[in-house]
Amino acid sequence: MAGIGLVVTLLGFVIALMGLGMTSSVNMRMIMALVGIAVSFFGIFGMINTAYNRNAIWRK
Amino acid sequence: MKRLTLLTTTLLLLASFGSAQTPPAAAPAAAPSPNPITDADLKAVEAPKAEVRAKGDPDGALTGTVADVAVADPITDKTPKAKGLTIADVVNQVGQNKIAINFTWTLICGFLVMFMQAGFAIVETGLCRAKNANHTMMMNFMVYGTGLFAYWLIGFTIQMGGVGGVANLGGVPPLSAEYAVKLFDKPFGLFGQNGFFLTHNGTYDVGVMVVFLFQMVFMDTALTIVTGSAAERWKFAAFIVSSFMLGAFIYPLFANWAWGGGWLANLGNNFGLGKGYADFAGSGVVHSVGGVSALALAIIVGPRIGKYTRQGKPNAIIGHDIVIVLTGCFILAFGWFGFNPGSTLGASGNGNLRIGSVAVNTMLAGMAGGFSAMFYMWIRYGKPDASMSGNGLLAGLVAITAPCGFVNPVAAVIIGLIGGILVCLSVEFVDRVLKVDDPVGAISVHGANGLWGVIAVGLFADGKSNYGGSWNGVAGNVTGLFYGDASQLVAQLIGVATLVGFVFSLVFVVNLGIEAVIGQRVSAKAELEGLDIPEMGQLGYPEFELKARSAGA
Repeated sequence: MAGIGLVVTLLGFVIALMGLGMTSSVNMRMIMALVGIAVSFFGIFGMINTAYNRNAIWRK
Repeated sequence: MKRLTLLTTTLLLLASFGSAQTPPAAAPAAAPSPNPITDADLKAVEAPKAEVRAKGDPDGALTGTVADVAVADPITDKTPKAKGLTIADVVNQVGQNKIAINFTWTLICGFLVMFMQAGFAIVETGLCRAKNANHTMMMNFMVYGTGLFAYWLIGFTIQMGGVGGVANLGGVPPLSAEYAVKLFDKPFGLFGQNGFFLTHNGTYDVGVMVVFLFQMVFMDTALTIVTGSAAERWKFAAFIVSSFMLGAFIYPLFANWAWGGGWLANLGNNFGLGKGYADFAGSGVVHSVGGVSALALAIIVGPRIGKYTRQGKPNAIIGHDIVIVLTGCFILAFGWFGFNPGSTLGASGNGNLRIGSVAVNTMLAGMAGGFSAMFYMWIRYGKPDASMSGNGLLAGLVAITAPCGFVNPVAAVIIGLIGGILVCLSVEFVDRVLKVDDPVGAISVHGANGLWGVIAVGLFADGKSNYGGSWNGVAGNVTGLFYGDASQLVAQLIGVATLVGFVFSLVFVVNLGIEAVIGQRVSAKAELEGLDIPEMGQLGYPEFELKARSAGA
């Protein structure tokens, strides 16, 4: 789960980067950057952190 | 009723900042053209006579005259036909004076930033429990040497080895080898290649040394942010290795992309996005890198014993000395006057007189952040929380770090006000929703507000500042969305995506490697006992009896 989360986090960066090559529209690039940021946050908060919290010390 | 009064006062304060001033740009009156100066004019300038000079100079009128201008071909008894003082000598002296002013300015600002390490050390130690005081102080102390060593060996080369010229500091031509790849048919600068050990490929150079010192203390600031989020349970050996990796590779890589001539800096040149990623003094490069690294570490290391109940409810683990916490905040605020104004890398030429504006923006945003955090806590919890007020001050300072060179004072106050509230909301979110234990609030102060500062450039940059005619090699001034350039905001958002997506992932992977090899977390026994004896062999406060007061203490 944490591993997949790491891939998703990195994917967010790639999405923002791809916006540079896929379009020259400022609005489209902004949307791609925002989507990329959202995907990365989901990877960190929704997947990596959730995976670590499942085995957190306070649950034991 | 009390809360209503507080709310009204806050709103009134906000309203009073609401009217932006836009002074008309008055063109300077054309000066009458002077008669050209000749070498003969220079020879007519007399130095104070030796017998007069020998009597001393109590009012300073005789010190610093034509006698102090270096002459390339001086007239002496043995060389009566020499040229003596010429226009060329004067021009060279003027050039050297400019660079000397910029060297001095940059070095002194660098010394101020170095002193911020002391501020970080006591803020973090004060926010931790007394049983971990020695360990927390030692992390903050040794991060300086560890980071410096890593940066001297490798980091500086990666970051600045291809910057390709720093006009304010004499050009630093040896730093000119950037490794780049082609992507989307554009060059993507990835890392520098000159500067190993500060001797490689001509980098034994006075200008390079100044760049090194200033950039090194910035890098160390990012490293010391991480020690706060992992405090009270981080193995000292793991901390050393992790800090080395951050100082040698991770920080320099992003710093190269933003400041060293890398691909983020060239988003304007290559893709028409504003003036490229603009981060004046490092909300992104320094604070966000530190903040996202702090988040990665805090997730890997896990919460302290007693921080959460079995149901996941957070317990407050109170720091042991609020006096040194607030003293540390003041030291940091003082050091920030080196951090932000020093980032012009000069006080003379190239638009550098804006240092006054940069310094004022810095102090205003810090004030605003402190106020808004204090009022937020007062309204929400009934008391003006001291540690959160301190964090609010720091949040305002972090948030203004990127925009300080590009915004007006009203925007600086707005950025600081938002920063102060953001840090409170973020601390609650990290603590209660994410259940990530961050003893000092480093993730919120530096991570959340660092990202906010980067975005704020894309919103509030007013298009008035012009450092030497261009920023990141693009003609014109940095202008944000509110002043008509949406593309600058896109450049900033791509910087944010890089910080959150790439830098976080890199830090996470590197620290997973350290976790696998030497382990990141101390034993439960050591944590309960306090890390001073198990990790450092000595108590921070050996003459005091430490009593357990909070859960897990």
